[in-house]
This record gives sequence, C-alpha cells and structure tokens, in this order.
Amino acid sequence: MALIDKLRTAPVKELHLRSALCVEPNQKISAVIEAMRQANLGCAIVVDGENKLVGMFTEGIVRDQIAANPGFIEDRVAEHMASTFPRVKLDDTVDLVLDAMHANNTRFLCVVDDDGCVRGLTGQKGLMEFIAEHYPRQVMVQYVGGPKLPDQREGA
Amino acid sequence: MSDRTDRSVPAPEDDFPDPLEDYEPQHYDDPLEEALDTRTVLDLQTVPCETVPSTATIEAAVARLAAIEHSCLLVEDNGQLVGLFTDRDLLKRVALEYPRIKDQPLSSVMTADPVYVNEDDAAAAALHVIAVSGHRHVPVLKLDGTIAGVVTPRRITAFLIQHSKS
Repeated sequence: MALIDKLRTAPVKELHLRSALCVEPNQKISAVIEAMRQANLGCAIVVDGENKLVGMFTEGIVRDQIAANPGFIEDRVAEHMASTFPRVKLDDTVDLVLDAMHANNTRFLCVVDDDGCVRGLTGQKGLMEFIAEHYPRQVMVQYVGGPKLPDQREGA
Repeated sequence: MSDRTDRSVPAPEDDFPDPLEDYEPQHYDDPLEEALDTRTVLDLQTVPCETVPSTATIEAAVARLAAIEHSCLLVEDNGQLVGLFTDRDLLKRVALEYPRIKDQPLSSVMTADPVYVNEDDAAAAALHVIAVSGHRHVPVLKLDGTIAGVVTPRRITAFLIQHSKS
C-alpha cells in the first residue's frame, strides 16, 4: 500500500501512542514540570475529579511565561493551562493527526476513546515514526560531532 | 598462428553492453513518496532561523525564544553549529532552576552535537532524523558546515499536507 494511502486509512491506534501524563487542576506548576521531566513529555493533560479533560499544559506555555514571570511555577496549573486543545479518537485516521497538528500549530495531540477518556498522546514524533516505518527507502542520519564516515572503503 | 591484435581489441561490430541499457526511471507509488525522495530539505522551508552564541546567557536565550515565539534557537560559534536550545531544554534543565542559573552560559544547558541534515539531503532525511533521534528541530547545514536553516515541526506538517492533498 502506498504511503499516502496508509496515512488515509490507518487508524490512530496504529501509531506509537505514548502514555499521557494526567494532572489535577490544583497542582502547582513546579510539580507538574517535575512530572513532565520524569516522564520525558512536553505536555501534561489536566483532568478534573471525574477524569474529565479540562486542559493541556505544554512546554510552550513554560517558555512564554518564564521570561516574564519566573515565579509562575508556584501558581496552580489551572491558571496557565490551555483550556481548548485538539484531540483525536483512536479510530480516526492518521491523516487527521496531520490536519489537526497543522491547523492548531501544535506538536501534541490528546488521543481519546469514544467515551472521551484519555487513551494516550501522539503528535509530531508519533507521526514521523509512522512515516519512517512506511517509507520504502533507506535514509542516513548523522550527528554533529558524531562518528565520522569511514575514509577508507570497506571490504576487499 | 594467432593474431594478438584480434584478441585484445574488440572489433567495432562487437556488441558492448550499455550499463544504462536497462535503466528505468524511478517509480513512485504516490506523490507524497515522490516528494519525500526528490525534494530536498530546502523545500521544507528552513528559514528564518534564529542563532545565538554559546556564550549568551540563559536569560537572554529564554527572552529571545519568548519574544520570537519560536521553540528553537540554533547555537553557533564562529559560524559553526554547536548545539540547539529548545523548549524541551528549557523544560528539562532551566524551568525550575531559572533564577539560580539564568546568568550562566547557554552552553551549559543546550543540546550539544545535535543530529543534522545537509541542505541537499532528501526531505525524507529530516523526517527520519526526527523519528530516530526524537529531536523535533533538525538543523540544516551547508556543505561547508555553516548553518543553512532549521526544519521545524510546523514546516514539516505544511510540507506533508501540501504533498498528500495534491
């Protein structure tokens, strides 16, 4: 199947979903940032006592706040979270992930089931992994300061 | 009696196999695959990009990021890329320690030796770098090692949409 057809037909649940970090609205931002560090995630999902989605807190919010108000990390996360944010369902197609990221200029998407419960996170990295997996050619990656390409040819 | 000339030099009428005789143009299953393979990273739009020296203070870099509303700064010394400073670096190494470390040089918290692509690499290379390394910003270097730009998540999604909807 062609790559473009894969994007249009594969469901979101075929992406490598990451576990969402859920926090409560009353948690201090410093605690949320520490949890994001531990989970190596760039966003946290804010849920209320009934496990209902109420917001998203991202590293972009940290960037925008910290220069002007470094003390904001003592505030409650509810005071600075984004209350509207994109989400996709497990059975939506992968191209909807692409559309949602582009339309909302976001790198993170919350994945929910039919009941609206959080089932995971996807976004830029998940989409790139999906394309890389289904791209039928080889690509070389290289690091600045990484191992150099051999200057002698290998083999006989 | 043998004729040495006849053995060492092919006669003009001999068939010489053309190595490109069976060449067939590259076939692509869809326009997205073709764009990823034939377009270069420069087609992903790699500028504008912001650069700062590694000696800049963390405070200055954070202020710059916030002012331009970008999520990545390229760190360069003497025209050479030495690192990246991104939202993720800010979250992981700066956010909770900001008042204490804001006067330190950016080199202490940046991501050193990032993965990069060359300006004439295929667009697919940038996507694979993200998939393999997990970095969402991919610096683009010219062949002389100087900075040509940066591939960002937004630029990649715009490219994918352009070529998957066509």
